[in-house]
Amino acid sequence: MLQRTLSKSNKTDLYLDLVELASGLILVGFLWTHMLFVATILISPETFNSLSEFLDTYYLSYIGIPFVVVVALMHFVIAGRRIPTRMQEQRIIWQHAKMLRHTDTWTWVFQAITGMAILVLASIHVWLVVTGWPIRDFTSAQRMEAFWWFYLVLLLVGEYHAGFGIYRQFVKWGWFPRKPISYVSKAITAVILVLGLAAMVVFVQLGGTL
Amino acid sequence: MADRELTFEIFRYNPAKPEIKPRMQTYKLKETTGMTIFVALNMIREEQDPSLMFDFVCRAAICGSCAMIINGRPRLACKTLTSTLPRTIKLFPLPVFKLIGDLSVDTGTWFRHLSIRTESWVHTSKTFDPTKEEERMDNKIALEIYEAERCIECGCCIAGCATANIRDEFLGAAGINRVARFMVDPRDERTPEEYFEVVGSEEGAFGCMGLMACDDNCPMELPLQMQLAFVRRKIASIGLGIKQEKKIKMGIG
Repeated sequence: MLQRTLSKSNKTDLYLDLVELASGLILVGFLWTHMLFVATILISPETFNSLSEFLDTYYLSYIGIPFVVVVALMHFVIAGRRIPTRMQEQRIIWQHAKMLRHTDTWTWVFQAITGMAILVLASIHVWLVVTGWPIRDFTSAQRMEAFWWFYLVLLLVGEYHAGFGIYRQFVKWGWFPRKPISYVSKAITAVILVLGLAAMVVFVQLGGTL
Repeated sequence: MADRELTFEIFRYNPAKPEIKPRMQTYKLKETTGMTIFVALNMIREEQDPSLMFDFVCRAAICGSCAMIINGRPRLACKTLTSTLPRTIKLFPLPVFKLIGDLSVDTGTWFRHLSIRTESWVHTSKTFDPTKEEERMDNKIALEIYEAERCIECGCCIAGCATANIRDEFLGAAGINRVARFMVDPRDERTPEEYFEVVGSEEGAFGCMGLMACDDNCPMELPLQMQLAFVRRKIASIGLGIKQEKKIKMGIG
């Protein structure tokens, strides 16, 4: 008790909560924009390439990628502090979720799991992209043809985590009532998923014709 | 529905007799019209097993003492009709709170501790004069206070909260709702900064992960999501130094 009182900083928990919120919003904004950019392949490979070249010419990729990596790591550390680390606590949470059969409790459990998965999968994705630089339709098509199953998993866990993450932040801060924001976040997630899957199909087909 | 035979699987453990390990005990009972879990438990105790322990006082969803886990969810036994449940009904005591025995838990100690931590009394410099007429209060504010005051301290929100299940110090929805009640009260002279001290931490407003099982399981249907969000926003703006009115006003209802 004495140690807790002496080490207590009265604003730390507030700042951590705000950083969790801000980093989460930035990452969801990034992910949805990223998927829209990827989906330009549905228009034509030329559109995809010209967008990619535009981002390179104005150094937006070179600033954006490191920035997003830093924000993602920050989000992982700060939002991850909520995840119970002790085995007994994890067991309590799991049993609690099973007993309660409560949707928002279960979605949080899977948010914690998908968060871990994203850390690993997104790191591999960034590595593959950076080592195969620059981003052009043929480099993406080659990657997608070889690792479509990897990208399918990354797309699903990423969109799940982002969709429920933004819903939860809106609920926590009470900016909108729960039901409307739930429908909106699910609808956006569904649209992004459809675009992502369609882009994957196009890339895999492109990969086959290379 | 009324001619069903119900099977009750009830958690049994008496901490005063640790030599008998925790176990589930099965009872059969014929369902009657309008039967609640509370009625069923009384029938089991009267007709089958006088050793069965559970709490009740009011039988009318006012006292909150008969809260328990009914088929996995925190509910009031007196408010839960057996007709809304399947034939097999599993009953457990509320988690988080100290187990007295079987389905009976001690919510009182927890809520007393909460009252002390949140200093749940009107902080005023005025001296009470019993001969004077009571100060009048704006009706809207009175209704806002009443909305938060409807909490019967049954413990369902705490039992349903994953954070409260693993973090002893977390105030939970009942605690944050209690703070909201005093934030609204014009008689309470605490400054915004003093409220930040009470609830501006991981143990208070910033510990909530937004799972909303509290809101979904509150037998009194208190607007807990709104209360939690309101306190979080208000406390955050106090912490960020955004100028507050001397008295915090809340927009409930």
